[in-house]
Amino acid sequence: MLGLVPSASLLGVEGHAVTVEVHITGGGLPSFTVVGLPDASCREARDRVRAAIESSRATWPMKRITVNLAPPTLRKVGSGLDLALAVALLVADGQLKAQQVAGLAFLGELGLDGSVRPVTGTVCLMEALRGHALVLPPQSVAEAQLGGDRALHPVHSLAQVIACAKGDEPWPSPVPCDEPPPPPPLPDLADVRGQPVARYALEVAAAGGHHLLMLGPPGAGKTMLASRLPSLLPLLSPAEALEATRIHSAGGFGLPPGGLVRQPPFRAPHHGASSVALVGGGTALMRPGEISAATNGILFLDELAEFAPHVLDALRQPLEEGVVRVARAAATVAFPARFLLVAAMNPCPCGQGSRPGGCRCTDGARVRYQRRLSGPLLDRFDLRVEVQRPSAEDLFTAAAGESSAAVAERVAAARALAERRGVRSNAALPAQRLDEVAPLDDAATSLLLDALRSGRLSARGLHRVRRVARTIADLDGAPHHLGLAHVATALSLRVDGIGPVAPHQELAG
Amino acid sequence: MNRPGEPTTVEQQLGAAAALAGLPSVGPRRLTALLAGRAPAEAWVLATSGRRSLLQEVLGGEAGLTALTEAWSAAGRGIDLTAVLAAHAAAGVAVRVHPGARGSQEDEADPAWPSYPEALVDDLEPPAVLLTQGPLEHLEGPRVAIVGTRRCTGVGAGVARELGRELSAAGVHVVSGLALGIDGAAHRGVLDAMSAHDDAAPPIGVVGSGHDVVYPTRHRELWRTVADRGLLVSEAPLGTRPTGWRFPARNRVIAALADVVVVVESHAAGGSLHTVQEAIHRDIDVMAVPGSVRSAAAAGSNQLLAEGCHPVRDAGDVLVALGLQRARRRRVVEHRDAPSTVGTSVLEAFDWEPATLEHLAVRTGLALPELAVALEGLVAAGWVGVDGGWYERRAAS
Repeated sequence: MLGLVPSASLLGVEGHAVTVEVHITGGGLPSFTVVGLPDASCREARDRVRAAIESSRATWPMKRITVNLAPPTLRKVGSGLDLALAVALLVADGQLKAQQVAGLAFLGELGLDGSVRPVTGTVCLMEALRGHALVLPPQSVAEAQLGGDRALHPVHSLAQVIACAKGDEPWPSPVPCDEPPPPPPLPDLADVRGQPVARYALEVAAAGGHHLLMLGPPGAGKTMLASRLPSLLPLLSPAEALEATRIHSAGGFGLPPGGLVRQPPFRAPHHGASSVALVGGGTALMRPGEISAATNGILFLDELAEFAPHVLDALRQPLEEGVVRVARAAATVAFPARFLLVAAMNPCPCGQGSRPGGCRCTDGARVRYQRRLSGPLLDRFDLRVEVQRPSAEDLFTAAAGESSAAVAERVAAARALAERRGVRSNAALPAQRLDEVAPLDDAATSLLLDALRSGRLSARGLHRVRRVARTIADLDGAPHHLGLAHVATALSLRVDGIGPVAPHQELAG
Repeated sequence: MNRPGEPTTVEQQLGAAAALAGLPSVGPRRLTALLAGRAPAEAWVLATSGRRSLLQEVLGGEAGLTALTEAWSAAGRGIDLTAVLAAHAAAGVAVRVHPGARGSQEDEADPAWPSYPEALVDDLEPPAVLLTQGPLEHLEGPRVAIVGTRRCTGVGAGVARELGRELSAAGVHVVSGLALGIDGAAHRGVLDAMSAHDDAAPPIGVVGSGHDVVYPTRHRELWRTVADRGLLVSEAPLGTRPTGWRFPARNRVIAALADVVVVVESHAAGGSLHTVQEAIHRDIDVMAVPGSVRSAAAAGSNQLLAEGCHPVRDAGDVLVALGLQRARRRRVVEHRDAPSTVGTSVLEAFDWEPATLEHLAVRTGLALPELAVALEGLVAAGWVGVDGGWYERRAAS
C-alpha cells in the first residue's frame, strides 16, 4: 500500500516542495527505513511519529515500512515533515483513505502526545506549497498568511487531523485575528543628552545609508547611540518587510506579534561570533546569519577590534554586493545582506588612546590591536566620529534633544530625494554620477583640493566625502550645489588616522 | 688578525674596539670590564677565545657565561679588525676609545688615537667606546638635553620645538634621543633655528642602535640631517639593532652630555624619567615644563615639579639656569593669518587642551556646519592641528 502527501522543506531562505511517500508491505520482519537524504532530526521522526500515532488512538502498523522523501537529491532538515509523514503512513496503512486528504499539504512537527507544533521558516515554505490547502499548527497561521492567500486549516493535534479527514468534524478555518498589537516603541533619540555631534552622525547615517564607526573610550554611550538608529529609519516597505520576515523566520530569529517584521531590524552580535554565525551557513541547514537578519536594518558590531579578523573580512563581500553567497559541498545559497553597518571600538586596548598623550599602552600593544582591522574594511565607513563621555553638566543641564520622530521626518525626506536620483540611499551613488548629482561650489572645491593636497583625504575618500556631503545638503534642504559648510561638515565627520600610525606623532614634523 | 709578535696598529686597536662593542649582549658594564687594563685588540682575543675560565676571571661568575663564551667565540670568527674600522671610516663614523680603555699610559696620550669627548672622560660610567658622526667641536659650549614621551600631545610637541629652536638660536646645543614625540620635535626646532640663523648651535643626537640602523624609521630624514649638520653619538657599532636594553644605556649618555636636562612631557612611569635619574646621579640640573593636571602625558613631568624641579615656561628659564643672558632670546613673529571672529571664539574654547568636535560644539554652542567651516579655516591657517578625532590649538612657530 502507498501513501503520498505533499509537504515542504527549507534550504537557506527558500522553501522546496517535498513529497512524503510511504510504502507498507506485510511481508518480512517489521522495519522502518527513511530514504531521500534526511538529516538526523528528520530521521528521528520515526520515534516521534510512532508515539504520536499511538497517542492519537490510531495503530502503528507492525509491518515493513519504507519512507521516501522526494526529490531524493534535496537534503531535508528538521522536524517539519512529521505531520505529513504521519498522515502518509496512515494512508498507506489504510487507516485513512487517499481521497480524504487529497488537495491538502501538511506542515508541522509532532509531539509525543500527538500535538502539532510550529516549524521555522513557515513563510518561506508557502511558496513551495502553491495549489494546496495547508494543514498547519495554529501558531503558524499569521506567518503563513504573509506567504499568500491560501486556504489554511489550523489543527492542534494529530487526533484532530484524523477526525477531520474521516469527516467526523469539519476542517477548521483560521479565526480572523485582530489587528496585530502595535510594535513596542523603539528606544528614542530624545534619551541622549548632549552629544550633538554623535546625534548628527546618526541622522546622517540614517538619511544616507552611510556606514558609521564610533571611536571612543568605554562608557561613552556608543551602544546607547547605535540602538537609537532604528527609530530614525522609516518603517520597512511591504517588500522589505516580507524579505526581513522570511529571513527571520528561516533563521529562527523570532518574529514580532502579527508575524511581519515592520521595524528595521537591529542586530548586535557579540564579538565572539563565529564567521558562520555572522554570514550564515552550517553544514546542512544553511541558516542565514546575523548580517542577513540585519537586512533592511542595522548591524551593530560593538568592540569591532575584538572580532576575529577573518570574521570581519567575511563582511567585505556582502558590504559590496548586498548579498552573501554561502557555498557548501551540498548546496550554494545566496542570502540577502543589505544592512547599515554601525561599529564601535576603542582606539587601543586601554581605551584612552585617541586623546593626544592619553594612551597608556605600549607601542606594540597598540599596533597589534589596530592591525586586527583591515584597511579595506575601515574604508567602508563613510562616517567615523569620536564619541566622548558627556560631562556631568551636560547630562543634567543640556536640554533634551530632538525626539526620534522629528529626526525621522528629515531622514525620510532625504531618503525620498535619494530615491528620486534612482538609488536606495546616497551611499549607493555611483562615483561617475557625483558630478551630476553632487556638484560643488567654488569654496567647497577649494576646500577639498586643500584636503587632498595636504594628504588628509585620499582619492577614494574624496567620493565618500562627497556622498556624505550630498546627504548633509539634503538634510539641510539644499538640493543642488554642495556648499562649503556641507563639505566641511562631511570632512569633520570623517576621523582619519585609525591604524598603526598615530598621526599626532607626526604633528611635530 | 696579525701574527703573534707583530706590533698591533692603532687601526687594529680601533677596529677591535668597535668589534668588541658589537659583540652580542655587550653593554657598557661588560665592555668596561673587558677593556679594564687591556688594549682593545688584547681584549678582543680574550673575548673571542672561547675559553670560559679566562672570561670568568674578567667578568666574574655570572649566569649564562658558557653560552656567552660560545656566542662571542662564534661571533669573532672570521672578523677582520682592519676591515671593521674601514667600514666605519667609509660610513663617516669615527671610533673613539676612552683614554682609560686603551691599554697603557703611553697609549692614553698617543695622538694617533682619535680624541674622546672631554665631557664624558670623567663621567660615572663613561662609554668605553664611542662612535660618532660629525665634529666633536659641537660639544663645546652649553648643552641642554630635551627629553620626553614618545606619545606626546600636540601642545607638548609645540613646546619642545619652540625650546629647541630658541635654545639653539641662543647658542645652546640641544641633546636628544631622536625618538618619536618630544625628542624629534626638539631637534626639528633646532633645525628650524639653523635654517634661520647662521650662528645657531647644531643638534647633538644620542642613539641606541648603529649609525646605519635608523630607529624609528619614521625619523630617517631627521636622523640623516642631525648626522650631517650636527653630532650623532652611539655606543653601538654599525649594524647593531636597537635592542630594548640599549635605550636606558643611551639615556645615561644623554644625561652625561647635558648641563641641564629639560623634561617636556612624561607619562607617570615614562622612559624619560630614567634620563632624569641618570642626571640626578650626576648632579645635573633637571627642569620640567608644567603641563595640564588633566593630561596623562604630563603626569610624570608635573610630578618632577612637585618634587622641586625648576619649571620651564620658555627658553628664557633654561638660559637663566645655564647662567646665560636672557636677552639673547629672540621674539617669535606671528605670521599666521588672523582667525575670523568665529575662529577666535573656537580657539578660545580650546583652553590649550585637546578637544573633540563634540567638546567644541558644546563649549561654543555653534551649529555643526558653522563649527566645521571655522575649524577647517583654523587648520588650513595652522592655528589648529588635527589628530584622529582630536583637535589641538597650536602655538606660534
